[in-house]
Amino acid sequence: MGKQYEIPVGAQHIALLEPLHFKFTTENEKIINTDANVYYVHRGIELACCSKFKFRQVSFVVGRVCGLCSISHTTAYSQVAEKLLKIEIPKRAKYLRMLVIELDRIHSHLLCLSHVAENSGFEALFMKTMQYREFSMELLEAVCGNRIQYDFSIVGGVSRDLKPQIADSIISRLKTFMPQLDELMDIYQHNWTLSLKNKGVGAITKQQAMELNLVGPFARAAGLSVDVRNETEDLLPWKEVGFEMVTETAGDVYSRNMIRLRELYVSIRIINNIINGLPEGDLITETKAFPEGEATVRLEAPRGELFYYAKGNKTQVLERLKIKAPTFSNVAGMVKGFEGNEYGSAPAIIASYDPCLSCTAR
Amino acid sequence: MIKIETSLANLKKDIAAFYKPELHHFMVMNAVDMGETMEIQWFFCDYAHPCETTCFYTIINPAEEIPSIRDIVVSAWVAEAELVDLMNIKVENTDKGFVLEPDFESGPLRKKK
Repeated sequence: MGKQYEIPVGAQHIALLEPLHFKFTTENEKIINTDANVYYVHRGIELACCSKFKFRQVSFVVGRVCGLCSISHTTAYSQVAEKLLKIEIPKRAKYLRMLVIELDRIHSHLLCLSHVAENSGFEALFMKTMQYREFSMELLEAVCGNRIQYDFSIVGGVSRDLKPQIADSIISRLKTFMPQLDELMDIYQHNWTLSLKNKGVGAITKQQAMELNLVGPFARAAGLSVDVRNETEDLLPWKEVGFEMVTETAGDVYSRNMIRLRELYVSIRIINNIINGLPEGDLITETKAFPEGEATVRLEAPRGELFYYAKGNKTQVLERLKIKAPTFSNVAGMVKGFEGNEYGSAPAIIASYDPCLSCTAR
Repeated sequence: MIKIETSLANLKKDIAAFYKPELHHFMVMNAVDMGETMEIQWFFCDYAHPCETTCFYTIINPAEEIPSIRDIVVSAWVAEAELVDLMNIKVENTDKGFVLEPDFESGPLRKKK
């Protein structure tokens, strides 16, 4: 048995993109135990939503929970509020919500992939991936008006329509992106040095993923078929627009890269199907009701299952709003995934988890 | 959502009888402050269609200690630690200092008296 060392990483560290703190216990360079703390960015958003804002304003507040998956938060909140108001939104609004969620998934997955490349020591690939990602940000700005934190989903529907010229632009930009995605797939799949850093590293088994209740690409990379898009059809008709489950088996950093890349192809297909089959109709269902009772909603954000619980008391202000972000579900798996790996692999493993502490701590 | 009432005495027995890792996943714990009492909730979801959400709940006095379910649901420690910090309640074998700094005194989601 070698000498054991405790190595703190974070809250500010060059390999960390988010303010979290890990304390690794290492022996002969191998990580044998990990402690995690996430207490750096709690903003009291749940409290603000139940005390300072009216329920219709809350969708704009939860859009600030996270810069990356803002549309997932505003959509999940709008859905839970619509359940409390007992209203059904127009089909066109459902399709437009799905369109923005998938555009958002493209930019979020490419961001994660670029950081895995950077943390694996492949800066040229980081820059290439970020360069290719730019189109998705521009499209989101064209559709929603903002590059991040788009207040697109509102209670009852969506705030903007999709103009025909923007729809044409999305189709043509996706066509341009396809060969770029093929190129990225080839590099992440076959590059020898990247494989050395990513294959067999930070692995989680399917059994562990089940026991630790993992969600999102983290779980699917281990072979666990969990994706809210495959599970619920009542609020957003994912299968109608061509959703297909993607899973891998190895559960390592490489598999997480593959999951995200393969999901980009699925997202592109969904977006094309949405634009080609976009129903005509209203954008919003109006109501003067107040939220009453309690309801829950699950939605597949780029990092996995997002869960909202809301309780209304027939007033303008909610009684309680609970937000469970995907990274929150994956914390236990993140701690487990380091075990037995070399300390030097930790940066790539962390990036492959795609943690979002802004969502987790709220 | 299916809501199942339980009690602190029966909580672990009820959840152990329900929870099968290959059939359900544990999502999160929640608490609703009702003034003198508090509703504590444990949310699960089925993997199989129709992927029903099941909520176990119990009404407690906020001073009572809640049993930990981490020997049944391994990952529950994260949700338990969050609730201890944000609601300022006691959960078996759970210290403060996960989502808020350890010396943060009151639960920010508790209603002001």
